[in-house]
Amino acid sequence: MEWIADWLFVIPLAPLIAAVANFLLGRWWIRDRAHWIAVPAVGVSFLASVPAFLAVARQHEPLSQHLYTWIPAGDFRVPVVLSVDQLTAVMLLVVTGVSFLVHLYSVGYMHGDPGYHRFFAYLPLFVFSMVMLVLASNFLVLFVFWEAVGLCSYLLIGFWFRRRSAADAAKKAFIVNRVGDFGFSIGIMLIFVTLGTLDYAEVFERVGTLGAGTVTAIALLLFTGAIGKSAQVPLFVWLPDAMEGPTPVSALIHAATMVTAGIFMVARTHPIFLASPTAMLVVAIVGAVTAFIAATIAVTQYDIKRVVAYSTVSQLGYMAIGLGTGAWIAAIFHLFTHAFFKALLFLGSGSVMHGLHDELDMRRMGGLKRSMPLTYWTFLIGAAANAGILPLAGFWSKDEIIVGAWVGGYPVVALIALAAAFFTSLYMFRAVFMTFHGEERFDRAHLHPHDPPWTMSVPLVVLAVGAAVAGFAGVPPEQGWFHRLLEPVFESAMHHEVSLATTLAFGAISTVIALAGLYLAAAAYVLGTVSPAVVAERLGPLYRLAYNKWYFDDVYQRLIVEPARGFATFLWRQIDVGVIDAAVNGAASLVVWTSQLWRRAQTGLVANYVLAIALGTVIIVGAYLIAGSNLFR
Amino acid sequence: MAIEVLIFYLLAGVAIAAAAGVVLARNPVHSAVSLVLSFVNVAAIYVMLRAEFLAVAQVIVYTGAIIVLVLFVLMLVQQQDLPEFHGGRPLRRAVGFLLGLVLLAEVAAAILTRSLRGAPGSWPPEAVAAVGGNIQAIGRELYSVYMLPIQATALLLLAATVGALFLARPELIEERLAVARRLFTISLAHPRGVDPLQPVAELPGPHDNERKPAGGDRVLVMARNAEEFTEQPAWGEIRR
Amino acid sequence: MSELTTAHFLFLSAALFIIGMVGVLTRRNVLIIFMCVELMLNAVNVSFIGFAWEQNALTGQIFALFVIAVAAAEAVIGLGIVMALSRRLDTVDIDEVRQLRE
Repeated sequence: MEWIADWLFVIPLAPLIAAVANFLLGRWWIRDRAHWIAVPAVGVSFLASVPAFLAVARQHEPLSQHLYTWIPAGDFRVPVVLSVDQLTAVMLLVVTGVSFLVHLYSVGYMHGDPGYHRFFAYLPLFVFSMVMLVLASNFLVLFVFWEAVGLCSYLLIGFWFRRRSAADAAKKAFIVNRVGDFGFSIGIMLIFVTLGTLDYAEVFERVGTLGAGTVTAIALLLFTGAIGKSAQVPLFVWLPDAMEGPTPVSALIHAATMVTAGIFMVARTHPIFLASPTAMLVVAIVGAVTAFIAATIAVTQYDIKRVVAYSTVSQLGYMAIGLGTGAWIAAIFHLFTHAFFKALLFLGSGSVMHGLHDELDMRRMGGLKRSMPLTYWTFLIGAAANAGILPLAGFWSKDEIIVGAWVGGYPVVALIALAAAFFTSLYMFRAVFMTFHGEERFDRAHLHPHDPPWTMSVPLVVLAVGAAVAGFAGVPPEQGWFHRLLEPVFESAMHHEVSLATTLAFGAISTVIALAGLYLAAAAYVLGTVSPAVVAERLGPLYRLAYNKWYFDDVYQRLIVEPARGFATFLWRQIDVGVIDAAVNGAASLVVWTSQLWRRAQTGLVANYVLAIALGTVIIVGAYLIAGSNLFR
Repeated sequence: MAIEVLIFYLLAGVAIAAAAGVVLARNPVHSAVSLVLSFVNVAAIYVMLRAEFLAVAQVIVYTGAIIVLVLFVLMLVQQQDLPEFHGGRPLRRAVGFLLGLVLLAEVAAAILTRSLRGAPGSWPPEAVAAVGGNIQAIGRELYSVYMLPIQATALLLLAATVGALFLARPELIEERLAVARRLFTISLAHPRGVDPLQPVAELPGPHDNERKPAGGDRVLVMARNAEEFTEQPAWGEIRR
Repeated sequence: MSELTTAHFLFLSAALFIIGMVGVLTRRNVLIIFMCVELMLNAVNVSFIGFAWEQNALTGQIFALFVIAVAAAEAVIGLGIVMALSRRLDTVDIDEVRQLRE
């Protein structure tokens, strides 16, 4: 399998070619045939990732392919090297695999859209950016594609840009990400200033030579980027709004190509974080807070995609907990399993929307179990995996993170994570019960929900199988196949010694908690023994806090957006119009005025022009005689 | 030596006098003739300066071609369009002469104080004689070193020809087309031919006695004479 | 002044040039002005050939040849303009042509 080292370029090149082809020719020629280019391209990318994965899984040595030297400036060289180690290989499989299924799903979902070719140009570009981000071997290339991923998310969230809400959501995603990226770029600059290199290996080698304060600053700045990209508190607000994009885009962003970038980046740069316990603590706390807040918000939402979106934020919080508490492999494992069930949940809700003509509000659904059996069962598997019900994927990875937090010396974080797990189970089954069980609350006269066509249902089935069995890659906990695979990457990290008793105890506890959430959801929405309205009223302010998303958006609106808008208006009205435009207009009118003055010199009489020429000749020859010749010397 | 100088003064004096005649002559034709005289004298001076080819070119191009052209134009231009000699404008005349005098003084000073001397060239008289004479030497130089400029000059002359054609054409293209259309239209039956831009005037109806006796079925309106219905001649007709 | 020097030719050139210039400045008939311009070009040729004679070089002569060629082109265009002027504006008086102002 070593031959793949020379063919690594195929993995990013195939989606790039598809994107370029659809960009250039889509509108004139390819049009509705765009998927014939995009889907096979991503498929090729996936097929090329498989041997790369097998190669590193067997030999434990990273593969690398030098493409070209991007910046050769004296001692500062930035080569573009594709490098694959075990972490990258896992990411490659997740990214290209999920992307391929999403592409396939989009063929059916986007059918008939006027921007079909545009969609299939952005989508492979997104995959290309993410693959390059994963394959990067230095911080500068990572940063470039980090931004490229942000750009693609902007383009795709605002895909239906004629809709004002979509355009606003795209801008919001882009701007909020800028906040994180600002810190990220400063972190990279700090690395370069202090270490003089941006290459991963060299940076990790020399991290030990830095002072504790510097390392902490670098780690926190890098994590700022991850906060933005991976939607952690307090920059998670863009992710739920990103629902404005087409549903396959949501699946792609949430499962494969966007939010995982932050987690991946922190895992990639784990030597820096390991050197700074403070930064690790911050990461763990941010993760715990995110997991809890997002889970509580998700319980109160009625928009099905929003519930799933907050669930993503919450699960990303779990991953951050794993990163912060030193359970690196568990975090990546959760990323891996999460990709399956989150893509599944999004594609499932997209399928529901497809059947109900773009209905999003769960209060106007219900009873879809009978008319959409395939969607129901796959969605149920995804929801159960997300909630952490026993043999499904989410249970293994989430439980491992909680155990890792407990063992790693962060019991409070572990308890918060357990609390969030309860809400996770509650909101997931609430969504299932409200959507698929109970009476049919939609307009039955006009809507006839049905299961989607094969291009949409095949990805659902594949992902459902993945969501069901992916967890067994990490069984038994801490010693599974997945752990042995990733061990070479995290060699320098500390290893948790987990006793069997602890593992079993936490497995039992989280199962009980998940079942409790399931029971509560069933009691409220199926059995009817608990009335959600009464509970909401009883909780009062707490409920309103969660329902209004902990007022993050309002606070931002009040404290940042409005002052910024006021300042911008001031700049526009006073500075721009009053000073800059006035200066330009003044210069123009000055020219007009002097031109009017000098216009009189143009008589139109050839004789006058001739006279001027002769006069000029006399003056120039005279000047020569005075200055240049030796007549007067 | 002295005889050479004498000849030079003679030629130069005639050239300058003729040049002054160009400026001073009342009749443009006299100006042109003076110009010829001046050019011929200058050509003679070229011969003194070992530039035989240029002397011949000067005579052929200037006195031959250009002056003939000038005389043709002079003939074509309406005589009443010519302005009178020195019609007023004494101020401008004074300024002109003053500027001329100042420039003359300046240039004379420049010539007399000239200190710059170029390096001697590669074509002394012996070398020119060795290749067979001035014309051969110029030819060698022109078609080896100055190949590109000579091509550019050819292009320039072509462009000038096209430009002259454009300037000298009688009317705008549309007008010419309209003329051609009118000319190539049988205008016996139609007052304005078939020109669609002009409304067709009321025609006199056909009378029996105006029918063409041996003609077939075609009704043919006979004009009484060509001038009655059209300003343009019919085919074969000569208009007075 | 017992033999010819370059200065002789330069003075001749200057005289011809300045006569031509005065003609351009004072006359009103476009045709005369045109002839005066030819006179000035010719005066420059005298300078060129005089220098070529002094330096034992052919460059000056060849330059004069190009000047003659350009003068021919200029004559063609200039006389075409005179014809157009006479036909459009019914004048060849330079003081009545004010179209350059617009």
